[in-house]
Amino acid sequence: MGVSKETCRNELRTAIRHLTDRCLFAASKWAAEQLVGIEQDPAKYPPSHTRLQRDCSSIRRRFRSTDEITATPVAGTSYVSTPVPEEESEDVDSDFYLLAKMYFNCREYRRAAHVLSDQTGMKALFLRCYALYLAGEKRKEEETIELEGPLGKSDAVNSELVSIERDLAAVRKNGSIDPFGLYLYGLVLKAKGNENLARTVLVESVNTYPWNWSAWLELQSLCTTIDTLNSLKLNNHWMKDFFLACTYHELRMHNESLAKYDYLQATFGCSNYIKAQIAKAQYSLREFELVEAIFEELLRIDPYRIDDMDMYSNVLYAKECFSGLSYLAHQVFMTDKYRPESCCIIGNYYSLKGLHEKSVMYFRRALKLDKKYLSAWTLMGHEYVEMKNTPAAVDAYRRAVDINPCDYRAWYGLGQAYEMMGMPYYALHYFKKSVFLQPGDSRLWIAMAHCYETDQLRMLEEAIKCYRRAANCNDREAIALHKLAKLHSELGQSQEAAFYYKKDLERMEDEEREGPNMVEALMFLAKYCRAQKRFEEAEVYCTRLLDYNGPEKETAKSLLQDIKLAQSGFP
Amino acid sequence: MAGIVKPQSGFVITPHKVSICILLQVYAPSGQLSVPFPFASISQHNRLGLFLIALTKSCDDILEPTLDEFLKLLKEFGGLLDNWLSDHVTGRLSSLSSPDDLFTFFSELRGILAGPETSIIDDDQINLDPNSNLGMYLRRCLLAFNILSFEGMCHLLTNIKTYCKEGFSPYEMSHLDDASNDPEAPLEYENMDLENIVLQNFTEELESRKRSTERVPFHNHSSKALFSLVEDITVSPGHKVKHNHRSQTQTHSPSVESSDVILQRTNWQIQGYLSEQADMIEKLGSSFPMSAFEYVLKLLQKVTPELHRVHFLRYLNSLYHDDYPAALENLHRYFDYSAGMEGSDFVPPLSFMNNGRYEIALLSLGMAHFHFGHPELALKVLTEAVRVCQMHSDDTCLAYTLTAICNLLSEVGISNITGIMGASDSHVSTSLSVQQQLFVLLRRSLKRADSLKLKRLVASNQLALAKFDLKHVQRPLLSFGPKASVQFRTSPTNVCKNLRLSSQLIHQFDNESSTVTVDGALSTSWLKNQEKPTTALVFPQESGSESNCDMFYSWLQSSSVPGSVLQLVGSSYLVRVTSWELYGSAFLARSNALLFATCFADSSSSADLALAYGKLIQHVAVYKGYQEAFVAHRIAEAKFLSVSKSGILTVKLQLLHERALHRGHLKLAQQTCDELGVLASSVAGVDMELKTEASLRRARTLLAANQFSQAASVAHSLFCKCYKFNMHVENATVLLFLAEIHKRSGNGVLGIPYVLASLSFCESFNLDLLRAAATLTLAELWLLLGPRHAKRALNLIHSAFPIILGQGGLELQSRAHIAEAKCYLSDSSISVSEDPDIVLDSLRQACEGLEALEYHEMAAEAYYLMAIVLNKSGQMEQRENAAARFKQHITALENPIKPKDPLVNLL
Repeated sequence: MGVSKETCRNELRTAIRHLTDRCLFAASKWAAEQLVGIEQDPAKYPPSHTRLQRDCSSIRRRFRSTDEITATPVAGTSYVSTPVPEEESEDVDSDFYLLAKMYFNCREYRRAAHVLSDQTGMKALFLRCYALYLAGEKRKEEETIELEGPLGKSDAVNSELVSIERDLAAVRKNGSIDPFGLYLYGLVLKAKGNENLARTVLVESVNTYPWNWSAWLELQSLCTTIDTLNSLKLNNHWMKDFFLACTYHELRMHNESLAKYDYLQATFGCSNYIKAQIAKAQYSLREFELVEAIFEELLRIDPYRIDDMDMYSNVLYAKECFSGLSYLAHQVFMTDKYRPESCCIIGNYYSLKGLHEKSVMYFRRALKLDKKYLSAWTLMGHEYVEMKNTPAAVDAYRRAVDINPCDYRAWYGLGQAYEMMGMPYYALHYFKKSVFLQPGDSRLWIAMAHCYETDQLRMLEEAIKCYRRAANCNDREAIALHKLAKLHSELGQSQEAAFYYKKDLERMEDEEREGPNMVEALMFLAKYCRAQKRFEEAEVYCTRLLDYNGPEKETAKSLLQDIKLAQSGFP
Repeated sequence: MAGIVKPQSGFVITPHKVSICILLQVYAPSGQLSVPFPFASISQHNRLGLFLIALTKSCDDILEPTLDEFLKLLKEFGGLLDNWLSDHVTGRLSSLSSPDDLFTFFSELRGILAGPETSIIDDDQINLDPNSNLGMYLRRCLLAFNILSFEGMCHLLTNIKTYCKEGFSPYEMSHLDDASNDPEAPLEYENMDLENIVLQNFTEELESRKRSTERVPFHNHSSKALFSLVEDITVSPGHKVKHNHRSQTQTHSPSVESSDVILQRTNWQIQGYLSEQADMIEKLGSSFPMSAFEYVLKLLQKVTPELHRVHFLRYLNSLYHDDYPAALENLHRYFDYSAGMEGSDFVPPLSFMNNGRYEIALLSLGMAHFHFGHPELALKVLTEAVRVCQMHSDDTCLAYTLTAICNLLSEVGISNITGIMGASDSHVSTSLSVQQQLFVLLRRSLKRADSLKLKRLVASNQLALAKFDLKHVQRPLLSFGPKASVQFRTSPTNVCKNLRLSSQLIHQFDNESSTVTVDGALSTSWLKNQEKPTTALVFPQESGSESNCDMFYSWLQSSSVPGSVLQLVGSSYLVRVTSWELYGSAFLARSNALLFATCFADSSSSADLALAYGKLIQHVAVYKGYQEAFVAHRIAEAKFLSVSKSGILTVKLQLLHERALHRGHLKLAQQTCDELGVLASSVAGVDMELKTEASLRRARTLLAANQFSQAASVAHSLFCKCYKFNMHVENATVLLFLAEIHKRSGNGVLGIPYVLASLSFCESFNLDLLRAAATLTLAELWLLLGPRHAKRALNLIHSAFPIILGQGGLELQSRAHIAEAKCYLSDSSISVSEDPDIVLDSLRQACEGLEALEYHEMAAEAYYLMAIVLNKSGQMEQRENAAARFKQHITALENPIKPKDPLVNLL
């Protein structure tokens, strides 16, 4: 680590002061979390200090014993030490500023802005503009509700943007703007759709003052491709690593993101934020066990957390853990029922219960609270699919895709919906999209292969290609191998079929699974080896078949006799 | 969508409506005398009423005019009163400063409504009948106001404030508008610079062309005869296109209003605008300015996120600009949102189906694949469409899908579809050949369309059948044993019948149920019409209003037949052109092409139009020589926006190739021929016709270079290809050409079987002109075999003469004349020296024609023969003359001068 823990700690402490002073609460909250997240030396501090940090690395101990190599930090990163700016007049904040800050704290934004209207100085200007911005946002949200339902047209705009932009642009021109002003300017520019300039301005802001996490987040939302990310000219600072990790995740480069977080954990060993982020990445890699463990721990340390808990509910859903999900739902409901995440968790619970109408109701509530809430749209689509209301499902999925075109689940859902309507060829378009976005997911490949395989299309060659991809990914249910063997034998390519049957057989033996697939594989292999005149092998398969009841047993018997005869016939 | 509640776009009171109410109050102040205060006369008063009615009609707005625009509108209508009226409106608006003011305003408004009990109308008083248009509007406003919550009232108040502010200070307005107007906009458009430059060039090109053609509107399809009265309307789409990208090229000016989308406010008008634009895109194809329109669409989408049709337009736009990914993306998006329930003309209005009409999506996707030249993908999608249609028993869509499949099969060269269609399609049994399948399909879809009373579809199916009959021999579908009589002919009567039937459509059209789209278009153009002569309409001198009405009505009449019908009827004329061309009546072909170019140019696509022009130009070339053809070509070229993408380019290449061959510029000929070959392998699917033509031309070039064996091998492979794709008509030509090769190589005996085969093909396909040409070649071949056969050859030539002289082109006529002369010369029973005129006459005619064509080789031959004859008959002076001309042509042939034609440079 290029920077010592102590440096980080000091920087963060100062930053929290700065940020709170400017009422940037989300950023200061984040900074405070990281501050506590820096692992303390247990020898130096009494246990009360580390109360929030106990067991903080138990997960690491449990899951990361084997691959210690990844934990070694990226060597040779030299950090630029960004000077911590001195506050202009730390203790001589004008009385008006104090008053404005209090108004702001009481959410009386316009009042706060009014108090500061005659004040000079960058700090006052920032708070005034920020208060105006928030007032505008608040009004905008109220208007959205007043004018139309939140699902429809909303032409409500933040009416303060224009004047804020004018003021900040003027200050930026004469060079006296500070990083916080730049952050706000970037925010306004982004809201007005001027993304290029917004990006430039935000980069300026984080380069001069890296500890403002909100600015990094805004910047992240503007980096939709890896090229844009690489084109940013960012100073090396340890905050940049947080940014990169987060952005890599959004760009679906999960392994890169995980590596970054591992590296960061060396310093911020107890950061709940990093844990949740790792859980997110692992969730995308479908490591549900690990994700569940992380969330369990998170909840133990921080039982009233709601952020990211919707993902935990997804994991519980996937594992069909009724009681866990209901407990989680109850907990978040008691904590804050008007959070979109809470509604989403409750929706998930009802969905698991099979009460799809109720589930849709809660997803809709989540969307009412945040209509850009991606996973709620997708999950609602799933519910509609369950309810056989395909047009509504298509609509919901499409909205998800239009919010974020990289949501492979929604594309997959669209494909599924169309396949349900008997339009497999049309569905292929969507499956292709989803597979393109998430090429490592065997389920998607299997779905696509299934589409090719339908009676209407019968494009078996393509289906085989898809199954092959699925088999190469981590195909947990082991559908692909069986299907591959079956399709090959259907096409009369017995050699390939035998190869896959054998592989499938080996796999079933490994996982100690029995069932009709096993019988089928044995049957085919027995016949195949018999035809290939590999009698010993055939005999082995036949004898194994004898363990099963049913018609196969008889066939095996006759096959065995056949083999005996053939062996004696051609010595 | 089921499941998703759409926002109730009810009647909401807006500042614009408030200003209308203010005007209403002026119009009908409670308890006043017959002519209330500001008006000087009753007519003035009535005109304001008219204006108000027009305004209230467009109350279901997507966008409303700003105060500025409203005042401008008012000014145009208001004449002398305008100052008073606008002052009154603005004054009244700015006086509304508190919720209570609004309250009193609306209760005053209530006063001008006549109560239900005052049914006795007092002549002296003006009362608004509550059930009249204006009365209803007022009542709706009142109701909307009454149900407003306090927040709503506050909203209205702030809206009125901004409305007024925008009206007065332009600075504020430009800032309050969306991102496109802010001062940073140039930054945002950085990456569009390139496109802007292209557009600028485009504009310049447009303008220069406009200048050069002297006030011919650039997209001058309007035939003066039919639409002279409504010129400004028919031309306006073109202007609009320009406007739009003007506003694009000058991003600095916040003139969103100059692109006239914003001037159209109501839902209907936007719908109309969109369908109009859709027509434009389809008509202009790739020359439609893409990015400009895309910009407009994005704007629209921002304003009306629930108007999914915008996605469809974006799809169309990208489709015609060959942007495959974007087209696919938008198509899918459109159908995901709309579920096929919106926009398409043939959706029955009362179809309550919960499961959407996604089969339409499949149909569109199939057509898109077809457009992009992926016939196999298209077939797959369309097969799926057939299946889904059957599943949902959507007969209408099924009919359309079948027609689409027919089009696909008939237009794209697919030699074998069994692998694609598979057994899943019950409509086609796979044992039949493609042609037979197509025929079965055509018949079925025609029947289906007929039973569903889809007139347009019936017509287009009939057209397709006509096309089919034109080119394919009809065999009985199932022939069992030797008994089945094999009739090996095409049937021109069927073609004729089908063509006639399909153009019946225009008469039947009156009660087709597509009034919806027409309405939208109507209101659009009515509004546009309004802009210019508005003052005349409302506060007119008497004569002015009448002419205006006339214009409006004539427009109405002309638009009572929708564009799609006109297009269909137009293409039936194009088929006629082709059929007459094949059947050998050049003049009927020409007159049909002329008819098309004059009457249907406006409604047809630019590709069709290019085809028609091409036919006309070629006609000129064949009958009048190249000089005139190139003049005609230049005229035609000026009418197309982008020559490089239209069929006009093909025509030019053909002309250049022919001329190069005739003049003996083999290099140039080869070059143009190669260019044609490149055109044939375009992105948008392989055009089989063009492809065969290109290779035939290649063979001809080789022949001209005396590379007989190579020419023959090219011709052979072409024959095989045509055979594979069942293009028998082309095969007749190829066979004749093979005979020609043998003739040129001096191997008459080998040529004869080819000619005979070609003749029999011509006979069974009724290709009269080609048959005459084949007869001529046969005669020439006989002549080659020696003077013994001269008599027979002469007989053959004479038998073919009527058609050749009546319909044949200059080249054919000249060839016939020369051959005739040769016959006479080699016939020992006729002494030329005694009666030179029988030979000289025809030779002279041949010479004339060949000189017009600049066909040096044959012209030299003709002069040579002429000189010999003259020599024999002892006319020495003329002999010298002919000899000199002969020498001239020979030298021209041997030393081809570098052509100094500007057209060549354009290549």
